[in-house]
Amino acid sequence: MNELRAQLQEWRVAIERRLPPWWPRALAVLLIAFGLVLPQLFSPTNNFINTEILALTYVMFALGLNIVVGFAGLLDLGYVAFFALGSYAFGWLGSGWFYKAHVHVLVHGPTGTLPGIHLNFLLILICAGLFTAFAGAIIGVPTLRLRGDYIAIVTLAFGEIIRVFALQGPALKIFGMPLTGGELGISGTDPPYLPGVGMFSQLNIRPWYYTIFVLVLITLFVNVRVRDSRLGRAWIALREDEVAAVSMGIPLVRTKLLAYALGAAFGGIAGAFLGAYTTLIDAGEFQFGFSIFVLAMVILGGLGSIWGVVVGALLLANINYYLIPDVFNSLPGDLGLNFNLTDLQVSIFGFLLVIAMVLRPQGLIPERRRKLELTEGIGESELEEPGTSWAGVEPGEVVQ
Amino acid sequence: MEARSLASSTAPSVGRKVLFEIRRAAGKWGLVALLLAFPVYFAAHDLFIGYGGFANGHATRVHDLTYLGTNIVQGISNGAIWALIAIGYTLVYGIIELINFAHGDVFMIGSFTGVSIWTGIGLGLATSTLGLVVGLPLALLVCMIVCGALNVLIERVGYRPLRGAPRLAPLITAVGFSFILQNVGLLWRGGSTVGVSDLVRENKTVVQISGVVIHRADVLSVAVTIPLVILLGWFVSRTRQGRAMRATAQDPEAARLMGINVDWTISLTFMIGGALAGAAGLVYALYETTIWYLQGFEAGLIAFTAAVMGGIGNLRGAVLGGLIIGCIQQTIDARVGPQWTPFFVFGLLIVVLVLRPQGLLGEETREAG
Amino acid sequence: MTVESPAPAQALGSPIMRAEEVSKEFGGLVAVNQVSVDVPLGSIVSIIGPNGAGKTTFFNMLTGLYKSSSGRIVFSGRDITHDRPDVITKLGVARTFQNIRLFGAMTALENVIVGRHCRMRAGLFGSIVRAPWVRAEERAVQERAAETLSYVGLRPRQFAQLSRNLSYGDQRRVEIARALASDPRLLLLDEPTAGMNPQESAALTEFMRKMRNDLELTILLIEHDMKVVMGVSERITVLDHGEKIAEGAPADVRENQRVIEAYLGKQS
Repeated sequence: MNELRAQLQEWRVAIERRLPPWWPRALAVLLIAFGLVLPQLFSPTNNFINTEILALTYVMFALGLNIVVGFAGLLDLGYVAFFALGSYAFGWLGSGWFYKAHVHVLVHGPTGTLPGIHLNFLLILICAGLFTAFAGAIIGVPTLRLRGDYIAIVTLAFGEIIRVFALQGPALKIFGMPLTGGELGISGTDPPYLPGVGMFSQLNIRPWYYTIFVLVLITLFVNVRVRDSRLGRAWIALREDEVAAVSMGIPLVRTKLLAYALGAAFGGIAGAFLGAYTTLIDAGEFQFGFSIFVLAMVILGGLGSIWGVVVGALLLANINYYLIPDVFNSLPGDLGLNFNLTDLQVSIFGFLLVIAMVLRPQGLIPERRRKLELTEGIGESELEEPGTSWAGVEPGEVVQ
Repeated sequence: MEARSLASSTAPSVGRKVLFEIRRAAGKWGLVALLLAFPVYFAAHDLFIGYGGFANGHATRVHDLTYLGTNIVQGISNGAIWALIAIGYTLVYGIIELINFAHGDVFMIGSFTGVSIWTGIGLGLATSTLGLVVGLPLALLVCMIVCGALNVLIERVGYRPLRGAPRLAPLITAVGFSFILQNVGLLWRGGSTVGVSDLVRENKTVVQISGVVIHRADVLSVAVTIPLVILLGWFVSRTRQGRAMRATAQDPEAARLMGINVDWTISLTFMIGGALAGAAGLVYALYETTIWYLQGFEAGLIAFTAAVMGGIGNLRGAVLGGLIIGCIQQTIDARVGPQWTPFFVFGLLIVVLVLRPQGLLGEETREAG
Repeated sequence: MTVESPAPAQALGSPIMRAEEVSKEFGGLVAVNQVSVDVPLGSIVSIIGPNGAGKTTFFNMLTGLYKSSSGRIVFSGRDITHDRPDVITKLGVARTFQNIRLFGAMTALENVIVGRHCRMRAGLFGSIVRAPWVRAEERAVQERAAETLSYVGLRPRQFAQLSRNLSYGDQRRVEIARALASDPRLLLLDEPTAGMNPQESAALTEFMRKMRNDLELTILLIEHDMKVVMGVSERITVLDHGEKIAEGAPADVRENQRVIEAYLGKQS
């Protein structure tokens, strides 16, 4: 096992040595260009593009979770809560669900006359983000005094509690209207409208694709900026050693809650988008399995590593929603075996997770710091002579 | 194992100081009060407002504690099963600080295996009592061995190679194994719940204590759990291997230096955890008379919650947590409705951890400079 | 290196930090029992005592990591008894740890930059938008950190090394640099010479004096190495079993009967 890992490492290093130093940037630009062109290569309702829209949404989820788990080191197992809250924010603010209200803000055409709360799509996204950020901070508060894995179970608990409310929503009335649609869900949500693009629909999924693509780019931008900032450093310090971090003047509560809030906001916005795209917000989607799925993307991609997480998310989403159910589904049949691949879908997925972790536990594209750790040895400074001077003070010198 | 981080803060203001004192007092007694609040509330409710019941052939309002007693009896017998699973979680976490996500699914495999074994050795509804008395413990033993071995296999393949890896990597292999086991269950007995022969006539009354009926199922569950827990307690505190487990849990490096084979000790821990999950699986199958490939996922969540509530790493805590959650489950299921049970169980967990971050029986350790 | 002064001005000679009858209990165990210590401004004071005397516990109370069970702690005229560690650091107290606690996944430079957290202003939005003032702040901090690392004796090519890959001695330097990054008035060093050979200890001793002079610091240190203690301290406080058993100039403490007994009598 170890020899296999060492061999793979060797190949990787050899390849990387041959590449020019600007290759990561060039690759990123290339990928973005490719992503922009992609939908044009397929029909407006192509299923592959549909999968990619889903995959990109998961990229956004994963980047959000990466802030909480990767940067700040807070093991959050209840990320589904923010998916749910974001989706419901869209359901509440962009449909006829709260039929007693008559609120219309910057909406287009016939939507402006319908009962319910109807806000402009972009406005809803912003509201969803703020709402989930706030919820994230609240969920974070009980975890502040807890250590690592206890945080996991408390966040998990919140996720399940939110799920109960989602399922029991029909029985919970706010101003006489049910809170959620339970498993039947909130449906008939407003299609977004953008000037110049028109009304979105299910007949042409390209505008949806570009919307989520832009959202992902914005998320990436924020992530990269924050990672290399004072706040990003504070998160990593807290992650590495809370006692030392706090002793260096990093305010614990504020910094942790910011991580929860920012991570949650991205989850909420992605959730709102997904709610809009699927036009149905049903409580059955909000399961613990979602939290685990996104966490797997983050860890597989490389905890704390922005690009790693992007790759991890794209990979797992495509495997789970496209490669196994669509592309390879009939493979066993073609080979003469008596079952479909979907029967084995879950265990193939599990198998891949196990293999990936055993072969490459640091993730596909590890956080830059871990890479340094793996490639550098113990410092050459071990070779220095004993009694090396502290600045300006020679050994034996006496300072008054 | 420390649970307390550093957000303890009091500004000099009087209001904050008062809050702090309240918090401290609440932390000690509030927890006990909170846990007692449930039974006390329902007892008062039953006694004064009463509950719907049957007497003399027609529906009446009954004012006694029988209903609550039934809830608690069933809570304990359910909770015993959760306790067995929770012990597995807590032992593994205590020794390598890993949340073994596949553990609940080992429990499910235990149920499936148990059923297959007793069917395989010919136990059925027509079997005599003697046959059951001989056959079931045999099935239990084999089941425990199989599940123990399964857990060790998972450890060897999925966790041991990742000893030096980032802390969260084994979590993902655990998830991977969970998926694999679920798929095994799916292929083994299909996607729907499967009815199982009611071998012990689980619903038959064994005894009635002031109106509270104790079924065979309740006795079975407790009768299997108590000896196993006692045996485990003895093993951990009196035997060399048990001491090795405790030493490794406290400080693996020191244990290694003392000559303890840490690898073997860890595998032993997994084996014990798996065996207990297997036992729980068999009992569950006899108790519920249905099995399902997804039962492990739900049970795992409950048992893990129990382990954390009791103080993760703490054996008695796991048992206590299991029993408490079992009782809450039964009580809320019966009185409010099963759809609200997760809210109460998880809500209670959050409150417990806020008041006592190390869990009910967990140890508070200080963070030194 | 420039020095900023975040704490209010105070009279010369008055104590910069004063602990009054400070105690700490853990359950039934009294780790620190009514210890009072004055740290005069600009001095170098040592706290010594046998293992388990409560020295690090005392430090932890001064920096807010532990809440004292009773007593009062005053820094630059302000009661900091109930303040959080990050607040105390911002007021001008910095520390190093007995077991070096650097952020292993960060480079030496990044460690020192993190040390400057409380003197920087960029928040979430500042970080995202990266206005010119934010970029200027980042540049200034990077330069300062490099200067500080040079000051403690690290060579430039070590700045970008992961701190966990540095030698023990260099890690100690980085830890001190990180503590200096917040422009403290009072520097607490917990066994800074642990693991060092005599030459290294002597160099560090001189360096402490240099720091004190250059940066107008007050230094409070815990030490086991008697040569260092006797050589650098202007005053020594001796703790044993959580209590103060002696205090005074090095010469006096060295002759003190109780101190000798404390060290020699308890051979466990």
